Amino acid sequence: MAANNTLSISFTVNGEKFNNVNVPSRQHLADFLRSQGFTGTHLGCEQGACGACTIEMDGKAVRSCLVLASQANGSDLKTVEGFDDKMMEQVKQSFLKHNAFQCGFCSPGMLMTTKEILLSKKKLTRDEIRSEISGNYCRCTGYQSIVDAIEECINEVN
Amino acid sequence: MIRLICYLMGGKYMKAANFSYYEAKNIQDAIKIKANDEEAVILAGGQSLLPALNMRLSSPSCLIDISKISGLNDIIIDGDYLFIGALATHSDVMRNEIVSQKMPCLIDILKMVAHPAIRNKGTHGGSIAYGDPAAELPALAVATNAEIILSGQNGDRSINANDFYLGLFETAINQDEIVVGIKYPLLKQGQVFLFDEVCRRHGDYAMAGLIANIILSSNKVNDLKLVFFATGDKPDVADKTAKLFLQTGYDYDQLKNSLSSEIDFAGDLNSSSEMKLHLATILIKKIINKLEA
Repeated sequence: MAANNTLSISFTVNGEKFNNVNVPSRQHLADFLRSQGFTGTHLGCEQGACGACTIEMDGKAVRSCLVLASQANGSDLKTVEGFDDKMMEQVKQSFLKHNAFQCGFCSPGMLMTTKEILLSKKKLTRDEIRSEISGNYCRCTGYQSIVDAIEECINEVN
Repeated sequence: MIRLICYLMGGKYMKAANFSYYEAKNIQDAIKIKANDEEAVILAGGQSLLPALNMRLSSPSCLIDISKISGLNDIIIDGDYLFIGALATHSDVMRNEIVSQKMPCLIDILKMVAHPAIRNKGTHGGSIAYGDPAAELPALAVATNAEIILSGQNGDRSINANDFYLGLFETAINQDEIVVGIKYPLLKQGQVFLFDEVCRRHGDYAMAGLIANIILSSNKVNDLKLVFFATGDKPDVADKTAKLFLQTGYDYDQLKNSLSSEIDFAGDLNSSSEMKLHLATILIKKIINKLEA
């Protein structure tokens, strides 16, 4: 049986290829990414509740604390460091303008969730925005400024 | 449930204990490994398993990853059933045309399961097999009398959801078996499934929830099956209470008495057993209001 405690995996992060990297089988993807220098991925609760570690895996938002690094073998990952396209630059400017970053701990997850909202092309009310970001904790802003920023992004994109 | 146990453990650990990882090539391969290692655990989406591992509530010897096996995420009509493959993610099911036509209540239910990033990874079969008493899908399977399809060393077998859940996280899955799909009976004439739950925050586990399987004839409730979740150690069927409701209609005190004699309500971090009993009674009213609307 080819079961191992250490595995060799290959994957892509923000377009950069990583080949045959050794990873302990028990390590989750968020810890692994941070160990590879992608410290924009934040760890809060490690049980899927806070949303700070949300990244994009093969085009879909996932909690990187609830995925094993070994499961990412062959995957295309995108972290907050890779959010440099035109739309995400606009989102970041909007967050800055409305003071939606504050301490910045929840921001990588908030930006990821905002990206999903914008890609879904849904025109959301403020209540609906709150519901969409309910999977991301913020302990600074009271969410008000984040909702302001996302609302502006929705109006600009659509 | 997991949150409660974490709280009781005082958040002592945040990283999984050591285990080996095995990526199964196909279902037979996975069955062979599982049959020979009683401490091995199947990993599908991992959205309930990984928190449990991170908290060290569970420390299996080996994780058998079945998530990359192809052909296990079909959503099709199979005779009188809607078949959902075990590896279909909650997002897959929510976006599916067949589901929205044949079983729209499933989409309403899945909206209440965690958050998009978790639904992108969590699987239908995983939720059914894990059997969290606070989860929606096990209760739905029981309420709809779904058939759960298991693959094992001696081939496939099907078991009714009513016989599948035995206790807290305990199911009728044998050591050499893996859940490969769920078959929901298609809606009959006059049949509706209604669902409601009470929780503090959208996407959290419910404090109490109810799925009702209702048969209507000439706009009157003719038959009723009530299945509660987040109330006890597994999906709780309340047949006596359903019968009482059919006879007397909604009477808070009567239904509450009946529920308390029929279900062993177990309190948790958010709500005591008395509160759950109250919420369960109120949920019957909320369901009836939905029906009348």
